[in-house]
Amino acid sequence: MKYFNKLTISSVILTLLISIPALLILVNLFTPTTENWEHLKDTVLSEYIFNSLFIMVGVALMTSIIGFSTAYITTMYSFTFSKFYHYALILPFAIPTYIVSYVYAGMFDITGSVTMFILELLGKENVTEVYFMDIMSIEGAIIVMSLVLYPYVYLISKTYLIAESSSIIEASKTMGFSSWQIFTKVIIPISRPAIVAGTILAVMEAVADYGVVDYYGVPTFVTGIFKTWYGMGSVEDASKLASMLMMFIFILIFLEKFQRRNKRYRSSGKDFAPISKIVLKGKSNIFASIFCFLPVFFGFILPFTQMSYWFLLSYKDVIDEDFLRILMQTLSLGIAGSIIITLLAFVFVYNVRIHANKISDYLTQITKLGYSIPGAVVAVGVLNFFSIIDGYFDILLSGSVVAILFAYCVRFLAISINNYESGFSKIPQTYDDACKTMNISQSHKLRKVIFPLIKNAAFASFIIVFIEIIKELPLTMILRPFNFDTLAVYSHELVGQAQVYESSVPAMFIVLLGIISVLVLARKMIKD
Amino acid sequence: MFKKLVLVTIIFASSLMAAAEVNIYSHRHYDTDKKLFKMFEEKTGIKVNVVKAKASALIKRMTSEGKNSPADVLITVDAGRLFQAKQKDLLQAVDSEYLTKNIPAIYRDKDKKWFALTKRSRVAVIRKDSTKENELSTYEDLANPKFKGQIVVRGSNNIYNQSLLAAMIEHHDEEYALKWAKGVVANMARTPKGNDRAQVKAVANGIGEIAIANTYYIGKMVHNKDASQRKAVSKMKIFFPKFENGGTHINVSGAGVAAYAPNKVNAIKFIEFLASPEAQKLFAEGNYEYPVLAGVKSSDLVASWGTFEEDNISINSLGENNAKAVKIFDKAGWK
Repeated sequence: MKYFNKLTISSVILTLLISIPALLILVNLFTPTTENWEHLKDTVLSEYIFNSLFIMVGVALMTSIIGFSTAYITTMYSFTFSKFYHYALILPFAIPTYIVSYVYAGMFDITGSVTMFILELLGKENVTEVYFMDIMSIEGAIIVMSLVLYPYVYLISKTYLIAESSSIIEASKTMGFSSWQIFTKVIIPISRPAIVAGTILAVMEAVADYGVVDYYGVPTFVTGIFKTWYGMGSVEDASKLASMLMMFIFILIFLEKFQRRNKRYRSSGKDFAPISKIVLKGKSNIFASIFCFLPVFFGFILPFTQMSYWFLLSYKDVIDEDFLRILMQTLSLGIAGSIIITLLAFVFVYNVRIHANKISDYLTQITKLGYSIPGAVVAVGVLNFFSIIDGYFDILLSGSVVAILFAYCVRFLAISINNYESGFSKIPQTYDDACKTMNISQSHKLRKVIFPLIKNAAFASFIIVFIEIIKELPLTMILRPFNFDTLAVYSHELVGQAQVYESSVPAMFIVLLGIISVLVLARKMIKD
Repeated sequence: MFKKLVLVTIIFASSLMAAAEVNIYSHRHYDTDKKLFKMFEEKTGIKVNVVKAKASALIKRMTSEGKNSPADVLITVDAGRLFQAKQKDLLQAVDSEYLTKNIPAIYRDKDKKWFALTKRSRVAVIRKDSTKENELSTYEDLANPKFKGQIVVRGSNNIYNQSLLAAMIEHHDEEYALKWAKGVVANMARTPKGNDRAQVKAVANGIGEIAIANTYYIGKMVHNKDASQRKAVSKMKIFFPKFENGGTHINVSGAGVAAYAPNKVNAIKFIEFLASPEAQKLFAEGNYEYPVLAGVKSSDLVASWGTFEEDNISINSLGENNAKAVKIFDKAGWK
């Protein structure tokens, strides 16, 4: 009993700590409206809201469809290159969104290399002479973001599907269901928690994006936040906008929770028999292979090829001693951050698990808020928080590595928690009950029962958070100590100097680190 | 005697320690700056510590850090942010004979809280074969319906556009500026997107006739690994528009000493160094900016674009009018 309390108390304290920056932004919801605010309401706010919603819906649809269907196909069927796709489908995740958006614009915008090539083939001089969908548009932004964000859904769904007992499928088969019926009537409903967990992450990331929408000229809620902050010089009004965005995401998370409450599909967990894959032949074999190839091609191969070309032309000028320092700083930040976050998230989720009350659940949801706000706004919250602490203790933590690591927790805990949640939901409640009746101590249960079952989710969380941190840009840039750079920051600076080719060098290292991590993760998933 | 010696040693040591470093918060992120910092270190033995981020974020960080802030110097890429920092009491007045004597009065704060280091002008870029040159004249005229469907320019989120409109407000008034912005929006060849370089590329490839861009981006396009940028810019030439009652729009990149600078002496030395002829030459050669120091020549490439009359309004007004400009853009529907 004492153990429960300790766990709950520590999770309450942690929640408070982690959510303070977000709450410091959220209080702006209640500040009186200003002249700037009235201006926004009268002019651009409705457009911001519409565009942000459009992006959310678009990205949700695209990522859930691409992510889940590919996860399903590669789990249930064996076809040409299916083993390769198992790994490859995660790869787009390794490329930062803003880099893909630059590469795509460089290829497909009105002056892009591919566009020009096609024009040449058609014998036309001018892009206005042909029908042309400009990638630099809201639709383009949705496509680009979805191409790199669908792996969230793919990964979480896949972990879920692999562990989901094959007995359900076998049972459905004996009941005479067709493959399509099994997919729509059985698989989708039981996989809903995983699909939703992945999609919410993708949507939260998309809605908090600034890099892509700013470059593609799409005014969204987030571009509004920055216009208010940078342009009108009002951090307060910008925070007010951010607080509304947070509120909105908060409501979304709760609606989802509320809806799911009545439809709990939890595995009885009687068997973990591996799924016997159906071997596809003929047309369906080709179809499955092409179907999985498309997201890999557009999300990874295409941008990666372009980047490699730029890399080869410029790596000699970029890689020097200083570059190695940046690489080391990136790595240490990434590893430290993901270890801390993976451990913290476990405390939260485990508390909810053994202490199944609403309060623990709400606490956990609150800590997720940080992921829905743009990194730069999180930085504002963190600065506000540390300015209180610094003033009180007369120290200077802002501008230290502590501030950055803390900010990463605020922003990325959601990813780790979502990973654990879907992992935990696979462990049947009967296990906990059994431990209780057998009088197994909590710590023993944790070590011998829970940990072996959850270690995959923990590992996945570590890897995903690691990749997120090395890709992260605005937070790191604003909060970093003196003479501290990361690969993402360096790449961004080079782009700002019009050195697009050179910028591919640090970007390439981010991608390579990401690929290595992703492959390690995928291997582990296959092995287990 | 011994006591005195110890005292002298301590004072000497502490002055040495004080001479050890200078902490820079900079919005500039150019290779040229890296070289300059190294030059300064070699010359003075003062170590340069840098944090680079957007000026607004750095201003927020300085505000939060308050009196404990380690920042000595704030460097921005526009006058508006220097003005903001000054308004928030984040900068202190600096008495430097060198800076006051050598930087023209229009390019430094009258309260000595900031000093411009380089200048950039915002100009019209047209195709070499274009005849638009004969029609182009003033910034005001860009709103003339005769340019319908011809103007290509980036979004209103961008500070350089905000400064241009702030200057328009200063030359006329808000009402006129709104009318002008609406006129330009009506003349746009496409919805604003991409950066300055993207606008130049667009016009080079037949989208619209007139791109609005900062001069130093053109320099960066000329000397670029990316063949498509080189090819695009090779088709283009620069036209320097003027304000009806002024000159070509100028924005500055500049620096000020932080209000609570722990290394104030070094900070001043640092800014003076950036305004020295050798540093100014590097700004001009390496980054295609216009040096603020009289007597330092522009790079050959920049000089080849021709000379122009600089606008005469106060640079501080760009900061003062910035928020108004943002709102006018919103009202005018400039995305």
